[in-house]
Amino acid sequence: MKHEDILKTVNRQSGMTVPDGFFEDFAVRMAASLPEQKWETPQNELPRSLWNKVRPYMYMAAMFLGVWCMMKMFDLMRPSNSDLSIENNAILSEAVSNDDFMNDYCLTDIENSDLLEDLYSEGFTPTALSMLDN
Amino acid sequence: MAEDTTSNDQTLIDQLRDPSTCRKAFGQVIAIYTEPLYWQIRRMVDNHDDANDLLQNTFLKAWTSIENFRGDAKLSTWLHKIAINESLSFLERERKRQNVSLDDEESHLIQVIEADTNIDGDQLKLKLRKAVATLPEKQRLVFNMKYYDDMKYEEISDILGTSVGALKASYHLAVKKIEQYFEDND
Repeated sequence: MKHEDILKTVNRQSGMTVPDGFFEDFAVRMAASLPEQKWETPQNELPRSLWNKVRPYMYMAAMFLGVWCMMKMFDLMRPSNSDLSIENNAILSEAVSNDDFMNDYCLTDIENSDLLEDLYSEGFTPTALSMLDN
Repeated sequence: MAEDTTSNDQTLIDQLRDPSTCRKAFGQVIAIYTEPLYWQIRRMVDNHDDANDLLQNTFLKAWTSIENFRGDAKLSTWLHKIAINESLSFLERERKRQNVSLDDEESHLIQVIEADTNIDGDQLKLKLRKAVATLPEKQRLVFNMKYYDDMKYEEISDILGTSVGALKASYHLAVKKIEQYFEDND
């Protein structure tokens, strides 16, 4: 007998059997034994309260307020910007108009020649210097 | 008929995706696919009790991973894949448990077939089962799906992930080996 004949003779039946009613019983048993899945139980969603709705906006407002407070604090920590202009300050105006004060305290870059000129104009002579040394 | 099956499948898939109808739809899946999957497994393991256990595992795995089923593949393809994986894993475990090598599996399976009590007593069919047991695992799968289940090569290709050409060659070779078995055991 050729193999094609054998396969035709067997007629796609394997010769294996199952107990009576096996498939029906199995389907019922199997469906009943399926474990509960997490997603089967609906999650009870609580209604959103007013606070839940406005909370993100409140957080955002608090953040901006915090930033504003921080900037204000830095501003307060800065030294006060009192008016130091000469025109508006009587003491400074007087000091600047006083040549002696300016010469003594402010004009530090005086050349030696200027000093000597002043000394000569006031009657100073170099011999007086040697006398001082003695 | 094929269109009906496709639309039924699509309806089932839609119901499976909805948590409120999923369990009921899966009950229908079990009712529809119990028999084809049982035979798929039984022809691989050649024993009713083992096939029964593996079928339960198949449906349990399908149920627990139903969330991962996106509906890209056909429902039957997905279930057959699970059933085949279960069968092959079982055969591998049995080989390890009984310390049987791949080469000795043929004689081990023939022993299982001879010990099987759930048979109709037809000697020719029994002989064909023994001949099929001599085939390598993958060839046996292809032969079972093509010959017993009368599946199309394209369908088998989807399930096994093998090209149609390779499946045709594998089936042809399997038939040759079965023919040789009958010649040798006349």
